[in-house]
Amino acid sequence: MNFDLSEDQVLLAEMVGRMLGDHAANDRRDPGAEWRDCLGQGLIALPFAEDQGGLGGGHEEVMLMMEAIGRNLSQTPYLQSVLLAGRVLALAGRMELGDLLDGAQRHCLCLYEPGQRYRWATPATRAERCAEGWSITGAKVSVPDLDDTCALIVPAATAEGLVLFLLPPGISGVTLDIRPAPDGRTAANVNFASVIVPVDAAIGDPAGNEALLAEALDGAVLASCAESIGAMERLLDLTVEYCNIREQFGAVIGSFQALQHRAADMLIAIERARSITIYAASMMDAPAARRSVAVSAARALVNRSSRFVGQQAIQLHGGIGLASECAAGAYFQRLTVLETLLGDTEHHVAAVERSGGLLAA
Amino acid sequence: MELQFNEGERAFREEVRAFLLDNIPERIRQAVYEERPLPRDWMIEAQQILNSAGYAVPHWPIEWGGRVWSPVKRAILAQEIDRNSVPKPLPFNVTLIGPIIAAFGTEDQKQRFLPGIANLDIWFCQGFSEPNAGSDLASLKMSAIREGDHYRVNGRKIWTTYAHEADWIFCLVRTSREERKQQGISFLLIDLETPGVEVSPIQSIDGFHHLNEVQFDDAIVPAENLVGEEGKGWDYARYLLGQERTSMGNVGFSRRRLERSRALAGEAAGERSETLLGDADFLRRQTWAEIRLKALEITQMRVVASAPVQGADPKTSILKTEGGELLQEAADLLLDTMGPEALTAGFPAGIGPEEFYGIDERSGILSAYFSSRKYSIFGGSNEIQRNILAGSVLRLGRKR
Repeated sequence: MNFDLSEDQVLLAEMVGRMLGDHAANDRRDPGAEWRDCLGQGLIALPFAEDQGGLGGGHEEVMLMMEAIGRNLSQTPYLQSVLLAGRVLALAGRMELGDLLDGAQRHCLCLYEPGQRYRWATPATRAERCAEGWSITGAKVSVPDLDDTCALIVPAATAEGLVLFLLPPGISGVTLDIRPAPDGRTAANVNFASVIVPVDAAIGDPAGNEALLAEALDGAVLASCAESIGAMERLLDLTVEYCNIREQFGAVIGSFQALQHRAADMLIAIERARSITIYAASMMDAPAARRSVAVSAARALVNRSSRFVGQQAIQLHGGIGLASECAAGAYFQRLTVLETLLGDTEHHVAAVERSGGLLAA
Repeated sequence: MELQFNEGERAFREEVRAFLLDNIPERIRQAVYEERPLPRDWMIEAQQILNSAGYAVPHWPIEWGGRVWSPVKRAILAQEIDRNSVPKPLPFNVTLIGPIIAAFGTEDQKQRFLPGIANLDIWFCQGFSEPNAGSDLASLKMSAIREGDHYRVNGRKIWTTYAHEADWIFCLVRTSREERKQQGISFLLIDLETPGVEVSPIQSIDGFHHLNEVQFDDAIVPAENLVGEEGKGWDYARYLLGQERTSMGNVGFSRRRLERSRALAGEAAGERSETLLGDADFLRRQTWAEIRLKALEITQMRVVASAPVQGADPKTSILKTEGGELLQEAADLLLDTMGPEALTAGFPAGIGPEEFYGIDERSGILSAYFSSRKYSIFGGSNEIQRNILAGSVLRLGRKR
């Protein structure tokens, strides 16, 4: 066993940290510019196999990237368009991956549906065969980072099983309701009213699509854990800095034991999150069922840590923690978004329970 | 990164497991599994079997029985000992006084004590805490006044586990009064047979007697029993804190308890479903504990695989608090599987371990539940650990 980063990994972390740090220092953030920089530095290509035009990076490299995204509250849609939609295209062996890698097109995966929480595998969205190909009707919710230039990947139930449809931007019958998410990014509800697509819009093999989506999703959930860890670490730093400056009762509040122990608990929560995430990373090559349980265990514990660290950071800041001008709030908001984004605590703990627990793992 | 055990590490684990299962008598492993206290001679028997295979003191210097095993392998050994219900080598001997003598003792002390400490031919207990020096250990008062070639020792030590079974006690004593209370403390080895030394039992809430108070009234201790330099005792005690961390998280022990609570809950009747394990609340608690165990196992290996840190290493305090809290949570779960039978399964009303047998194999659970409160108290309470994390690691309340 060895938990040290390789030299290349250290260099990657430094490069990404510097790049996203520069964007974070800019008063007027430009997510588009961050995305273009990621393209320019090869980060979009990072997680894909070399024979698909990628750089062959693994989960560890992706986690370094995601930690930096969390630490700098980057708004680049890496999780959505590279690790979810991009990964689906790669796993399905689709040529459209090339459009992502050369910056011509961004894709978004539409997973969840109204009132169904995280049950993506049994969508109410349906597609029927028709003369032109397929006709899709249904609705998806909370698609992160979606705008009207994005292509969509839409899982739908068909008579043949679960089919993933690739929809070009602006296609007739699709309506987007784009809303601000609490962390300054956006999430969209999408409606599909008899959307007609050609036969070759169907990605993958219906018999294998659930497994394909699960694999992409597990990778993205693991990456999201790393983003949460980056955000939590920075938030704890900010909180400690504040507690060492703010004076009340004639002393810095960081000298009060009640607050010290709260901060220590935050540190413990973060280390737990880091350890369970390393565990999940170590299980990414395991059989699918064990991989998914490990990822769920990680996201469950990271969620629990995130909620504690986020809430306590605001508490330790006091009144200023409620003000948007204070950086702590933005981290709390990001952590909360990540808590619900790809399965909340209830969802992931229940998944671990259904699997019979972790003792056999 | 290399996040899995490599082939050599996996082979080592199999080798250790096979040795333990083949050589440690079933009656001993059964008693440990059931969490019944072991008779003294069983503990000695188990440690001598481990020592014969080089498993008792692998972290010691090679000339005194240590092995050139990586920290990862030593952690694997510690986990297998716990998982397979083998009694741990006596920690007071192998992780506390042994390394101190090996690092700071005289050649005579090493030859006289180390082989017996490793083989549990000599049983040491720890004299650190005093009635008025608990978390604030440096305020200890027990005095040792140098008189020619001996020390005259007066004072009291408390919470001395196994003092009634032990042959010797290692003590932090005050040899001079200095400006800082951490100064003037020395490290002294005292034969418990010395006239003026009296051990009295403290009955504990788990129903057993393993704690004691040790009184020293004008006990005469040869000056050759001083370890290292006079006045450096505090430094030596602190040296221990950063030492053997391969078993600090107690992950094998927690795993054993959680496997047992899952099994017992699967047999017990539930409140809302067929079995207790089917009850949503119990299952949720069990599952969270298993998730935390997995995180702790990784934290343990992260500590083991990383180079020792100079000064405060946050991971050591985290390992200690998390490991203790998880053992407590597992004990809670075990208790909660028992229902009314907790009262009758067996509780040792002030008798020695050799006479204690409950009515079924769950008899140790209630004692273990009470006893487990110690994990957040001894060796620097969880509050002290949080002080360390906040102060030395996060540097809260300190000017930059």
